[in-house]
Amino acid sequence: MRRMILSTLAALTLSTAALADVTGNLVLYTSQPNEDAQKTVDAFMAANPGVTVEWVRDGTPKIMAKFRAELEAGAPQADVLLIADSVTMEGLKAEGLLMAHPDADISAYEPGIMDADKSWFATKLITTGIVYNTSAPVQPASYADLTAADVTAAFMMPSPLASGAATIHMVALTDVPELGWGFYETLAKQGAVADGGNGGVLKAVAGGEKLYGFLVDFLAIREAAKGAPVKFVFPTEGVSAVSEPVAILADTKNPDAAKAFVDFLISAPGQQLTADMGYLPAHPAIAPPEGFPARDTIKILPFDPAKALTDEAANKARFTEMFGG
Amino acid sequence: MSDDARAAPDRWSGLRRLLGEPLLLALILLAALVLFVLPLGSVGRLALFATGGGSDAFVAALSSRSVQRALWHSLESSALAATLAAVVGGALGLLIGLSDLRGRVALSFAILMLIMIPPHVTAIAWMQMLGPSSVLLQALGMAPAPGTTNPLYSREGVIGLLALQQVPIVYLTMRAALRTLPRDLAEAARVNGAGPGRLLIRVILPLMAPAMLAGFALAFVSALGNFGVPALLGIPGRYVTLPVLMWQRLASSGPSVLVDMAVLAVLIGVLAVVAVSAQMRLTRAWSVALIGPPQQPLRLTLGRARRFVEVGLWAVLALVVLAPMLAMLATALVPTYGVRLSLQTATLDHFREVIFNQVVTVRAFANSAGLSIVAGAVVAGLALALGALQRGPFGGSARAVTTLAEIAYAVPGLVISVAFIIAFLKPLPGLGVSIYGTHWIILGAYLAAFLALGLKPVGVAYAALDPALEDAARVSGAAFWRRLWRIDAPLIAPAAASGAVLVMLTAWNEVTLSSILWARGTETLGTVIFNYEDGGYSTLASAMSIVSVLATLALMVLLHRVGRNLPPGIIPWRD
Repeated sequence: MRRMILSTLAALTLSTAALADVTGNLVLYTSQPNEDAQKTVDAFMAANPGVTVEWVRDGTPKIMAKFRAELEAGAPQADVLLIADSVTMEGLKAEGLLMAHPDADISAYEPGIMDADKSWFATKLITTGIVYNTSAPVQPASYADLTAADVTAAFMMPSPLASGAATIHMVALTDVPELGWGFYETLAKQGAVADGGNGGVLKAVAGGEKLYGFLVDFLAIREAAKGAPVKFVFPTEGVSAVSEPVAILADTKNPDAAKAFVDFLISAPGQQLTADMGYLPAHPAIAPPEGFPARDTIKILPFDPAKALTDEAANKARFTEMFGG
Repeated sequence: MSDDARAAPDRWSGLRRLLGEPLLLALILLAALVLFVLPLGSVGRLALFATGGGSDAFVAALSSRSVQRALWHSLESSALAATLAAVVGGALGLLIGLSDLRGRVALSFAILMLIMIPPHVTAIAWMQMLGPSSVLLQALGMAPAPGTTNPLYSREGVIGLLALQQVPIVYLTMRAALRTLPRDLAEAARVNGAGPGRLLIRVILPLMAPAMLAGFALAFVSALGNFGVPALLGIPGRYVTLPVLMWQRLASSGPSVLVDMAVLAVLIGVLAVVAVSAQMRLTRAWSVALIGPPQQPLRLTLGRARRFVEVGLWAVLALVVLAPMLAMLATALVPTYGVRLSLQTATLDHFREVIFNQVVTVRAFANSAGLSIVAGAVVAGLALALGALQRGPFGGSARAVTTLAEIAYAVPGLVISVAFIIAFLKPLPGLGVSIYGTHWIILGAYLAAFLALGLKPVGVAYAALDPALEDAARVSGAAFWRRLWRIDAPLIAPAAASGAVLVMLTAWNEVTLSSILWARGTETLGTVIFNYEDGGYSTLASAMSIVSVLATLALMVLLHRVGRNLPPGIIPWRD
């Protein structure tokens, strides 16, 4: 039954896309890993043969820095942003840099996960927890377990200066009363490394240079399924979560294609593609991929987006002072 | 009527004269304004006078924990690396320059490889050679245990690789100085009964002290500006240097931190310029005027030890140049990072991916090739013009431009790129378009940073030019452009060409300048390799590095061919 609904949905979406008959070029700035970005873009272009999508990939903070610089130069390049977190999107929206897409169909989604003004749209759920190498002597179950000196010495996390998900993770964790900034201070003092994005952490832990790390769920679970010697843990305190939102920029030169891209991502087939790539989809009707626990068993740490936005610079400066980058 | 007829040729000749040297000077000054004065000036202006700048900003920067740390790391790593490089490079210079070793050109070529392979590629290669997932060490059964941090992710790792990269700089300075050593002195010492050891300690070393010092200072400045090594080894090793700190802040925060960046840029820029001028002053104070024309260098016979020295040198060079490249090749051949290399697992997929599939890498190869060729050609043209102007009535202005170029060369690359962003981020006045995000801004930064490289060989060639040629042409009525085109250009061409190839090599290999100037469509080879490694895609980074090193080798062989008939001292590895 559900399969039938899905295929009807798919047919419907495809036909609306075909009806809109969008053409031209579209520039996507994204923080998705290269491989996933290419797959997303290829699937969209297959559904919309008239559109050519060019994309640039970098960590959320870096891609945003590039976007800001181009804005300042008076030559913004991007039409669509697909980045890690909604905090950044809220900031852009407040500055009037986003274009709303009032016709977007978000009826299938739980209220609260999408922007009520339809300026940005959640595309998936990416949680950050603990990853460890299967040859590691300790199997951490909580963040507290990471403060053991020998664990910290072999621990690595993505830097909030390079990863949007890592930024949210830092904000969420430092808000947990029993952890707080003291937790990060301990990690730094005991020699934990903060470097680059999630890809670098996966490489270090899978390659055995580090044994423990903070990592986004899909990378660990997906690579473990391919045979990489890693295991993902949902820590007892909970995981932080980002929704990898997509948004259209107010300066877009091709609003029709940009809207089609957003529609594609939040459509059922788009969400199925997300699940096929190994992500937890945002759409409640799409089944999570292999290796994930049932969604309602995942404990997500609360965090205050408005506060996160105002404290962003201060938080990053504090982190840099501790970890030297 | 007849008056007019007589006046007309004068007026025309006046105009013609104006269209000669003055026109060229105007063009050169315009170029200097755009390449040096505007960018470096706007960094200074922003750091000193902008809101948020000024002395308070310097105090704030210097009292920040991370800036203090980075500044100390920069000074410490550059000083130690330069010292190591001075010892090793100096010894190599003496050994190869003064002895009767065979294959000196080949040895020099191999030593030069240390600097011709770009820092980020060297760092990637060494990381893969020594890490726990080293394909090479695994095959030998010598890989460190899992969970061992890569030994290169440390202060020692950064300093060691920096030193290794600076060895050729000291080596070249030593070789050049040895070439000017008059033979009479050494022969006088030997006639008076000094053995080789005494000759070395009492005669040669004191005379070589200024060259050693110059080599040390050049190595120091070059290490200070290095980005690839401390970025890839120092960030995971918690050993962040000032250029890396600047890159981190700028790459993560964008233009909002430009004032802070300008402050740091001034800090490190001043440091570099002070180091270079101190060296120049000391060299002048220490140097002794040597009498006698440069001669064939001394050839001390090593006797039976020669074979062992040769074998030893080649073995060490193979270990530090070839082995890391093989480790990187091994990583490029495995299906995913961490898998052991064997005949069954080896695959060319990553090469196929970077050469044919990934749009970005294909674009990067094209961009880097185009940018380095254009930069090389423009530098050759500028060097030719500056040399010609230096002889004429505008010599002073031309020398001032040369000095600016040398300052820009001494200043770390990241300072140049920050300067270009500050100067050219806003749309150009009058035109309403910004060159930020285009190839032009990267080309401009290349020209500013590498012009000095191309000026050196051309300066040597101009100095060797017989002034009688120029006078003869002038007397025969050849105007300035004609003289430049028919007399100077053909005679200077070989030197200009080798300068151009040096610039091309440097631009092809660089990552520091484009690391913050790249945008969609203007990705360079360096940035793509760096971003792949930074993002965790080591296999792709390795495959791209291998291709780029092969291209570098091809360029070096080309330079070897082009420079066959040049005077000594222009092609670095030739005798």
